[in-house]
Amino acid sequence: MIVTVKRRNCNFTKIILALFFLVSVVLPLICMFANLFTADLDKIFGNKSFFEATLHSLQVSAVSTVISISLAFLLAWCMTRTKVKLKGFFSAVIILPMLIPSISHGMGLVILFGQNGQLTKLLGLNWSIYGFWGIVAGSVMYSLPVAYLMISDILQYEDSTPYEAASVLGIPRKNRFLSITLPYMRKPMISVLFATFTLIVTDYGVPVMVGGKYNTLPMMMYNEVIGRLDFSKGSVIGMVLLVPAVVAFVFDFVSKDTRSSGFVNKPFALKKSVGREIFAYSFLAVVSISILYPIITFAGLTFNKNYPSDLTFTMDNILSTLNKGAGGYLLNSIMIALAVSLVGTALAFACAYLTARVRGLSSKVLHLISILSLAVPGIVLGLSYVLFFKGSFIYGTLIILILVNIVHFFASPYLMIYNSLGKLNMNLEDVGLTLGIRRGRLIRDVIIPQSVQTLVEMFTYFFVNSMITISAVSFVATTLTKPLSLMITQFQQQMLLEASAFVSLLILVVNIIMKTVSYIVRYCISRKGMKRYAHEKTI
Amino acid sequence: MESLSVQNITKEFDGNLALDNVSFQVNPGEFLSILGPSGCGKTTMLRILIGLLEPTSGSILMDNKDITHAPPDKRGMGIVFQNYALFENMTVLRNVEYALKLKKETKATARETALKMIELVGLSEHVSKKPSQLSGGQMQRVAIARTLALSPDIILFDEPMSALDVATRLALRRELKKIQAAMGTTMIYITHDQEEAFAMSDRIMVMNAATIHQLDTPEEILRNPADDYVQEFVIGNLAEKTASLLKYNIV
Repeated sequence: MIVTVKRRNCNFTKIILALFFLVSVVLPLICMFANLFTADLDKIFGNKSFFEATLHSLQVSAVSTVISISLAFLLAWCMTRTKVKLKGFFSAVIILPMLIPSISHGMGLVILFGQNGQLTKLLGLNWSIYGFWGIVAGSVMYSLPVAYLMISDILQYEDSTPYEAASVLGIPRKNRFLSITLPYMRKPMISVLFATFTLIVTDYGVPVMVGGKYNTLPMMMYNEVIGRLDFSKGSVIGMVLLVPAVVAFVFDFVSKDTRSSGFVNKPFALKKSVGREIFAYSFLAVVSISILYPIITFAGLTFNKNYPSDLTFTMDNILSTLNKGAGGYLLNSIMIALAVSLVGTALAFACAYLTARVRGLSSKVLHLISILSLAVPGIVLGLSYVLFFKGSFIYGTLIILILVNIVHFFASPYLMIYNSLGKLNMNLEDVGLTLGIRRGRLIRDVIIPQSVQTLVEMFTYFFVNSMITISAVSFVATTLTKPLSLMITQFQQQMLLEASAFVSLLILVVNIIMKTVSYIVRYCISRKGMKRYAHEKTI
Repeated sequence: MESLSVQNITKEFDGNLALDNVSFQVNPGEFLSILGPSGCGKTTMLRILIGLLEPTSGSILMDNKDITHAPPDKRGMGIVFQNYALFENMTVLRNVEYALKLKKETKATARETALKMIELVGLSEHVSKKPSQLSGGQMQRVAIARTLALSPDIILFDEPMSALDVATRLALRRELKKIQAAMGTTMIYITHDQEEAFAMSDRIMVMNAATIHQLDTPEEILRNPADDYVQEFVIGNLAEKTASLLKYNIV
């Protein structure tokens, strides 16, 4: 008997995934849009406080973005174009702020520079950290590692051959910068600019801590929704906050780099230059101290009786914080983070498999939907979840927190695995078909084993971000399901500085453990391959 | 031995004809080359033969049995791709025995068959290596062994040597012919290299712009080219290639 060719487009799986995104992204957003009709738009837009908050948000984000990107560029330059040593250490320190919530950066500033701040007292400062410059400082700390990672990626993969050609042709240095570096950097730098701006403009963690009376849009939205339960006004602000993210998304999508990825670039040969290195070391040292100092202060507050005047070691702060339920909230956080990582990684893999390795129009549509979450800021997503899922069985449970985090952080891990699956031989499925190997077997035995490294990275990304997030979750968490990160504001409001420092530290430690485990696992996997290779070579 | 008959195959992609009413026969045990420039429809033909593509119309008969819509693994055919498509995470041995182990009938003898095939392609000392440790020629041998292991009646080759250097090509050519002599497998071989086609084939099918221009033995094509295209593209280029060697009295 001859069996006819089975449909190979995996339409069933695609439909299931499309339905998932429909329920978890599209419908909640539509639900939020619908709220706009009930809102008194004239009154909201005409409101002076709304206008002021918008202006504040724009100002603070613009200044922070410029500073953050300038610093990030210098950092990336030091790390990719100079021969400084300890690069591993410095890069670990630079990305450390990514492992704690944005609110902790604000808190660090309060502890150091607040009215009773340690440095305020120590240096006899008489200015206030609260307001514009406080938000700028916190936002820069919060966004610096993200901008740094993106820019160093650009610099790292810049091809050195055009510079070699230019020097052979005798083109002066200044012109080389103008005609090679700038055109090369333009598009990716605009992407970095948009991404950093979006990150800052939609954050409420920093303003909540050091904003004082300086109101910004996310803070206003947070207060309207959580404080006054004014959902329609919240929706309007959410729509406004959606604008920069959507612009960034569209720009990235339109200006997608079409250069072939198979093309091997020649990396830069680093020359020794004492001047450069002295600058790089000094700059890296200043940045590292600025990053580490608040964290050391957190530890000081946690473990000392009365930091910094009485440095007697004590466990009292930890015990009293645990007594306030921090342990339970930590458990919530870890449970949420693990569930998000597991389900998120599996889901992102399934989507990427279909979009990267199965042809057809529906694959393109699914790809677009998968990266759409890049254009939805956490607080907007959170609000839309409140509006859409209120009254449903998942509302008030951990499930909604898990779901909202998966969706919120979906795009980046999805793109990681999308790129790595796209690099695998495109004929593998065809070979499988002709050899009679079922698709599921092929995925299990051939595709997944070749993607393990990426899968571990994705898992880590979901985990770390679920641990630190305060945006979407703050709208859908209840007192029972609250993750640990949300305790920071609560303790801060109760003037329990030690407790909120301990919580920040706890999140940092959990994330460092996760990162370390991830690193070791990936190291072992690649070593296993290398070892076998070396072994074979000697035979 | 089974014979393959292709009848009036037409394939359209978005209104463009990739194959225009193509018919031909493949004799059991023969080495047939499909020769033509890029975009002439030869790869489309191959993918339809093995069932990775469905034709818009027409049929394929294997020993008078219609297999036009049969799944790729139920046609008694194997395929070797230009880019090898090996399972990078598996050793040479695992690559070859993997598909065998998944089938009830071949499970018990999988290892034995695999080792025999690996020996046949001359890679016995490399069984425990991974593809990344092999040269291009060696990888293509693994791909051939993997296909041979399922003992197909027909093996299709999709420009299998395009990525290899000249010396490796020549060696692999000889080996392919040796394997064919040993196993008696029918081979259908896609190439755009005139010289390769003439060196290896029992018959050559010259294609251009979705149609067959001539299908005959190499000698017959040289003696009686069917049209101007065959004369210029096939014989003209072949002559130019050999002329450079003749100039130095090498041939």
